[in-house]
Amino acid sequence: MGVTISMYRKIIKRSLSNMRDSYVIYILACSFAIGIFGILLSMGDNPSVHLALHWWDNFIYDISSIMSGLFAFFAFIYMAYVDGFFIKQQRNEFLTFEKLGMQRWIIVTLSFFQTAIVQAVAWIIGLSLLLIFQKFMGMLLFFLMQVRFNFEMYLGWDNLYILLEVFAVSTLILSLINAIKTMRILQKKKTKPLVKTRWWLRIPAGAFGIILLLSAQICTAYLFKDMRMISYSGKPLAEIFYIMMDDIVGTYLVYYGFLPSILDIMERIHSVAYSGVNIFSFKYMKERLFQNISILWFVTELSALALALLTFCYFGYQAVHQNYNSAYPFELAANKDTVKVIRDELHKNKAKVKGSYKTEVKINLVSYYSKSNQTYTRQPMTFMSYSAYKSLPKRMRKGNSKINSHQFLKIDYNSSLMYSNHTNEHDIEVKNAPMIQTAKWGYSFPYGSSMHFGPMMIVPDKYYQKMPAEVTDTFYGWDFKKGDRLSRKQLQKLNSYRDAYYMKVNFKSSLEKSNIEVMKKEPNKYEAAIYTQSGFLRQGSIKKRLKQGGGFYLFIVALFSVALLVALGSVLTLRILLRDDYQSRQLRTLQKIGVEESEIKGIIRRENTLTFLIPIVFASLQAYAAIAMFDFGHHISKNIILIYGGYVILYGLFGLISFKISWRGVKQKFSL
Amino acid sequence: MQIAVKNISKDFGKNKTAVHAIKDISLEVEHGEFLGIMGPSGAGKTTLLNMISTNDRPDHGQIIIDGLDLTQLHDRDQAKYRRNKMGFIYQSFELLDSLNVKENVILPLALNRSNKKLIEERFNYMMQLLNIENLSARAIDELSLGQRQIVAAARAMINRPEILFADEPTGSLDSKSATILLNYMQMINKKEQTTILMATHDAFTASYCSRVIFIKDGVVFSEIVNPGNRDKFFEQIINMQRTIGGGDYFNVSQNY
Ligand SMILES: Nc1ncnc2c1ncn2[C@@H]1O[C@H](COP(=O)(O)OP(=O)(O)OP(=O)(O)O)[C@@H](O)[C@H]1O
Ligand SMILES: [Mg+2]
Repeated sequence: MGVTISMYRKIIKRSLSNMRDSYVIYILACSFAIGIFGILLSMGDNPSVHLALHWWDNFIYDISSIMSGLFAFFAFIYMAYVDGFFIKQQRNEFLTFEKLGMQRWIIVTLSFFQTAIVQAVAWIIGLSLLLIFQKFMGMLLFFLMQVRFNFEMYLGWDNLYILLEVFAVSTLILSLINAIKTMRILQKKKTKPLVKTRWWLRIPAGAFGIILLLSAQICTAYLFKDMRMISYSGKPLAEIFYIMMDDIVGTYLVYYGFLPSILDIMERIHSVAYSGVNIFSFKYMKERLFQNISILWFVTELSALALALLTFCYFGYQAVHQNYNSAYPFELAANKDTVKVIRDELHKNKAKVKGSYKTEVKINLVSYYSKSNQTYTRQPMTFMSYSAYKSLPKRMRKGNSKINSHQFLKIDYNSSLMYSNHTNEHDIEVKNAPMIQTAKWGYSFPYGSSMHFGPMMIVPDKYYQKMPAEVTDTFYGWDFKKGDRLSRKQLQKLNSYRDAYYMKVNFKSSLEKSNIEVMKKEPNKYEAAIYTQSGFLRQGSIKKRLKQGGGFYLFIVALFSVALLVALGSVLTLRILLRDDYQSRQLRTLQKIGVEESEIKGIIRRENTLTFLIPIVFASLQAYAAIAMFDFGHHISKNIILIYGGYVILYGLFGLISFKISWRGVKQKFSL
Repeated sequence: MQIAVKNISKDFGKNKTAVHAIKDISLEVEHGEFLGIMGPSGAGKTTLLNMISTNDRPDHGQIIIDGLDLTQLHDRDQAKYRRNKMGFIYQSFELLDSLNVKENVILPLALNRSNKKLIEERFNYMMQLLNIENLSARAIDELSLGQRQIVAAARAMINRPEILFADEPTGSLDSKSATILLNYMQMINKKEQTTILMATHDAFTASYCSRVIFIKDGVVFSEIVNPGNRDKFFEQIINMQRTIGGGDYFNVSQNY
């Protein structure tokens, strides 16, 4: 009895050490996932997080527990999927055991415990990672959120209990899955028949795949058109669904149809195939790609998804940021009615002013045909002279077209952030002043979009001096070192200055006859034609919150992206490493009959490059095509390319590491 | 003299479990010689061939071929040398499962980027001579062991190597195929002056050689030169095997 047990222990030990490299990669990827899961989970009820971020209340806790749940779910799928590779790899070994007379249930039990052991090791490392890196990750989170606070390490009993529970359940399920897989291997012993190239099936399938991919692109174009036109409709949703299905199915068909066919054609061109090591490498590559088509496809779609998600996260962040920037360009802004009070308050609390600005504006009535609304519009407009506009800090002009001293610039709300139709406005009539023929566009309001109503117009100095005004005003803006330091009490006092005055517009048949009536008191009845001039605008804590929110967002997005990369990279690497026995034997044989090591290395490199390159090329094409249409070509931003570049570089790094490990494994076999 | 082996030795493993596969062997082989290497299982025949053919490096000693010390060469140059001058029939065949019979056989020519016409010519000639034309489109795993061995032999000889290494080339062959192969080897040995080094257990196979050395426990035990009469030579070999022990006494091919 003791002898048999020690024999089984040896068997497990041997197969673990046989696939050492692969297991190391798998265990590292798993423990990374486990560590991240634990960190996310424990972040939620860490006391220092609660202390530092008290105004986020339960938000952080909710988000981090949702995220950790999501993370655990995907990590589990990954483990279940990849764990299967190892069982497949041991197929021959298991069959040999059975031939040697080992009972089936023992083999199944062996595979059960083997999986459980690997899982346990991964958990031990993962939990150590949790303990080691929790503080680091917490500090990183605080750093990104720009919170100056010490992150204390903490692991509550609740969380520990949850972690142990997850460990027990997931290990049990994974081990069971593998045991069942082993059972099935033993039941149907016959080896897989060699995959045949069936041209008549593959070529049409591939062609159909291309058609699907193209139709997805066309549909994407329609989608973006529809998204602008139709506000409430199920159509865009149906289109998105269609595009996703098209992309997913289309890519698979293209892979299925063309990957083998291309290699087949190459192989048939004897002048290429019969020269040098190609005679072997084409067949070898074909075989390997055949085995990996579904994994290549899987990785492609996930990469495309990752890229798309990154893009949307980026645009989302941009949208919030841009909105914020155009709403609060100055930390504090005021008009001529409130400037005195505010100055007094700032004096009282000794705020350190970094810069202060002041600009005269005129308010007049205009009428024009608005292209974006497709209506004839009459409204008050705030005018500012070109030189005044130019004297403001550069950041105020970030979202605006460049103009020279003879040009006009109309600054208006940007209704849709991603694809504003940036066309010039024409023929704007101004009361008692020359008509403005052409005005360029922009969306950065120098003193903030909510400082005043409606659009703003930047005009040449001469035009400004000559034009009459219904109302004149002066805007003031301040930037501070370390905030405006206004206390809650001061703010309460300032509250009554929020609205400076109200303007009631009396529209008549023509602009000349219409006029603006200024009222100090808030009118009882709100009519359509009453506009409010704000007294002051304050960034205050919004800035802080935006920074913190942004940091948190970045933290989560980065974490998920890296995790996804690790998952995809490790899947590909494992696929490359886990060659069938006879496949690695063949490389050894090549060396024996005098093929140079560098040539064999070349084969490995080509295999690696193909495996990694195909998915990323298809994925970035898909993601890029979507954004290109999204942006209609003329606005692929540098940052997006940067984000993609970063992703591709990290991915490439994985490819490189995978090649190194793969070659090492092959070379080890050479010296046997 | 074409090949000179000087005091080579080779150990496998380390410390306690070390195996002294080759202890101290020196050997000279003339150009155009057909040398047999015999000895019981585990005697070190394969190891010796592997080292002479640069597939493995000896721990000590020198291997000089055509005046060039191969042990001093870099791995890459060794591979080149191997590819251009040597042919191999391995004990375990070493055929590529991904390729079919034809592709396996023409592999050495393709590796040297020979032109297509030459490839076809040589291939057809080889297959005809070894009487295996009907196998040419078969996959390797559809072949019997004997068929694999003869395909491996065809591959070893297709680019007319200067030196042919044959490790147990007839081990899996029936007597007819073995005779065909051995006759062919003898022919290229005579006609093209190919130097052949062949390891075998089989006295009948060894009787084709011009000289046979016997090794045991990693050293050369003795040596017999073919007196010019194969039957007599065969007798001498059998006797020597008896002295050493561990040889195959009752081989099918003895009945020949
Ligand atoms: N890669 C290796 N690692 C460890 N030991 C080895 C290795 N290759 C050979 N040996 C040992 O070296 C000795 C010589 O082996 P070798 O294969 O040369 O014998 P052989 O004469 O070819 O035997 P056979 O007639 O069975 O082919 C044996 O004891 C063997 O166990
Ligand atoms: Mg041997």
